[in-house]
Amino acid sequence: MALSNICGADPAWECGSFEAPTPELFGVDYIQGKTAISALNCGEYNVGLSLPTLDAHQKIVQSLLEAPSTDLQLQQGAEHTKTANPRNLFLHGTTTLSFKFQGGVMVAVDSRASSGQQISSQTVNKVIPISKYLLGTMAGGAADCTYWMRVLNRQCRMYELRNRERITVSAASKLLSNMLYGYKGSGISIGSMIAGYDKRGPGLYVIDNDGMRVAGNCFSIGSGSPYAFGVLDTEYRWDLTDKEAYELARRAIYHATMRDPYSGGNVSVYHIKETGWVKIETQDVSDLFYKDRGIPVTA
Amino acid sequence: MFMTRSEYDRGINTYSPEGRLFQVEYAIEAIKLGSTAIGIQTKEGCVLAVEKRITSPLLEPSSIEKIWKVDEHIGCAVSGLIADARTLVEKARVEALSHWFSYNERMSVESVSQAVSNLAIGYGTTLSRPFGVAMLFAGIDHRKPQLWHMDPSGTFIQFDAKAIGSGSEGAQQSLQEVYHKDFTLKEALKHAVTILKQVMEEKINSINIEIATVTPENMYHLLTPKEVEEVLTLITEK
Amino acid sequence: MGHFDPYDDNGGTVAAIAGQDYVLIASDSRLSTGSTILSRFTPKIYPLSKVTVFACAGFHGDVLTLVKQLEIRMKLYVHEHGEEMSTKAMMALLLPTLYGRRFFPYYVRPIVAGLDREGRGLVASYDPIGTPEFFDYVIQGSAENLVHPFLNNQIGAKKTLSDVPIQAPPELTLEKAVKLLKDSFLAAAERDVYTGDTVTLMAITAKGTETTEYQLRRD
Repeated sequence: MALSNICGADPAWECGSFEAPTPELFGVDYIQGKTAISALNCGEYNVGLSLPTLDAHQKIVQSLLEAPSTDLQLQQGAEHTKTANPRNLFLHGTTTLSFKFQGGVMVAVDSRASSGQQISSQTVNKVIPISKYLLGTMAGGAADCTYWMRVLNRQCRMYELRNRERITVSAASKLLSNMLYGYKGSGISIGSMIAGYDKRGPGLYVIDNDGMRVAGNCFSIGSGSPYAFGVLDTEYRWDLTDKEAYELARRAIYHATMRDPYSGGNVSVYHIKETGWVKIETQDVSDLFYKDRGIPVTA
Repeated sequence: MFMTRSEYDRGINTYSPEGRLFQVEYAIEAIKLGSTAIGIQTKEGCVLAVEKRITSPLLEPSSIEKIWKVDEHIGCAVSGLIADARTLVEKARVEALSHWFSYNERMSVESVSQAVSNLAIGYGTTLSRPFGVAMLFAGIDHRKPQLWHMDPSGTFIQFDAKAIGSGSEGAQQSLQEVYHKDFTLKEALKHAVTILKQVMEEKINSINIEIATVTPENMYHLLTPKEVEEVLTLITEK
Repeated sequence: MGHFDPYDDNGGTVAAIAGQDYVLIASDSRLSTGSTILSRFTPKIYPLSKVTVFACAGFHGDVLTLVKQLEIRMKLYVHEHGEEMSTKAMMALLLPTLYGRRFFPYYVRPIVAGLDREGRGLVASYDPIGTPEFFDYVIQGSAENLVHPFLNNQIGAKKTLSDVPIQAPPELTLEKAVKLLKDSFLAAAERDVYTGDTVTLMAITAKGTETTEYQLRRD
């Protein structure tokens, strides 16, 4: 099923002896199909916010059932995997995190992109600048994130031209959230943190493709997020110094890349202050590993 | 030309037997009633300077806007019907941002003028009359600093220096006399304000004018009242 | 009624290397479907301007449509803006072009190679719905998994224990890059059934584009 392939179901189809169901199969017995899909909810892929929920898959299946001939897009998408698999880039395997603290907002990400088991890239930039004061993180479909962040960037610039004032983190995240809500159920896959600094101070929101939008102090998204949260929740305090915050952000991502095979590459750390965001560093996690073990890194 | 009034001056899409579109010509007349705006391009960047008519002491001067930011690298000064100008500036902004969205590059000043001109010439579909605005687009693209002028007929032409609005005739004459290709930005600022002072009815001060610069270093920048004050000292010192 | 089946995979491999003052881009010329070779003379490489070249593996029907689309955009740009679209602009344009078909994607593996306004080489690769990534070297298509490790070792060389001197951009010369790319395709043709016949190789420098061809295995 190709649309599900695009929207993230692909690994699930592959992880059992289960054969990818055809629409016809579902037409015969929908309940059976539904059960099958639930059974396919293989743990390691369905972690964090980077995957669309099962509901999304069922919605696609539902639309195939309800409008087999009219819903051309979905059907076309659904059928083609039989002959060809487009293998879109996914950031399903991802670790991203962001937290607010006394010095502003920290954002840290890994840099690995994978399609299935293959590492497509070790150098993906998962932090997208929206403005001088706003950053967005990427998890989910790489193209979905890249494209919609660009749309958001454009909207924010338009807002600032029209209002002669910087957009708030709250408003920016809501713009994106509202746009994505219009595409709910279509298979778009995005789990993003919108972090920034505005007239109200530091701001941090999590949004996803279902239309969720939540404000908070400390988030992590992606397949590596449980590992990152482990480190983050243990060490996190509001009154971290800047140095401590950098170290915590770096370490949380580093440990996630060590346990999660779908995360890796480099750790990039960003700090958003009242004066705008600054990139603190990009480090190869492999170097961090040797440093962690006290092994000297050879040039 | 106003001696030959006939029924042809009413239809916005009807030529007179002499081959004229009166409504467009009237719109060009209308912008000569607007406040004066001056634009100068130099090698170091562009300058835009406009007068604001403070018609009442009870009026809040900062709420009058005659220079708009179109994008990081383009500013726009207008004269004529400001309400019409808002529509055109919105168009310019949307086009510039769409261009960035598609090509990840800054739209050229010429292309922005072209896009706005396409809307201006499309009057009749969007508006029942020609837009009553003249515009000066000042900006920097990958070529160099550029100044473009567009009038209600949709014609857009590049200028080294251009004045629009009620004082434009005298101001254009003065610009012609002083302009040379090697102007520094500071010289351009000084001359723009000097000429503006000559053609303004009110006494020039930091409240009743607006100045913007577009330079490779700072891109579009609308001068603060304090910075305007500094520019004004340039012409009072002598 | 047979079911709707809009895609095929026609195989083929495309690759590119960016240098300090050149860019190299190459494609093999084999077109296949399933166990049949459709053509031995179809290089999937398309110049879009004097300094920008597009190459694309995947489903050839979509490749042709996409190329046509990009050619049209290039022409429109020339008419609208009075100059050719820069390589960087074309690289940016692929995102909205491919993403515009988000819900019925072009089944393609595109790469764009060209020189920027300063004459430096640029290479970008995309997934079927437009994720852009910029690299010094890239390979996409049926042999990418075979050849990528070779190029990683010879050019990227993030981690190597061998004492073979690595020439990575910007030091990598055009001559060395041509050799590497030729070797890549020769190796691919040895182990990938969908890569073979002829390689079309374009070297773009400030002087212009030089196109060469060389033979691969034809079996």
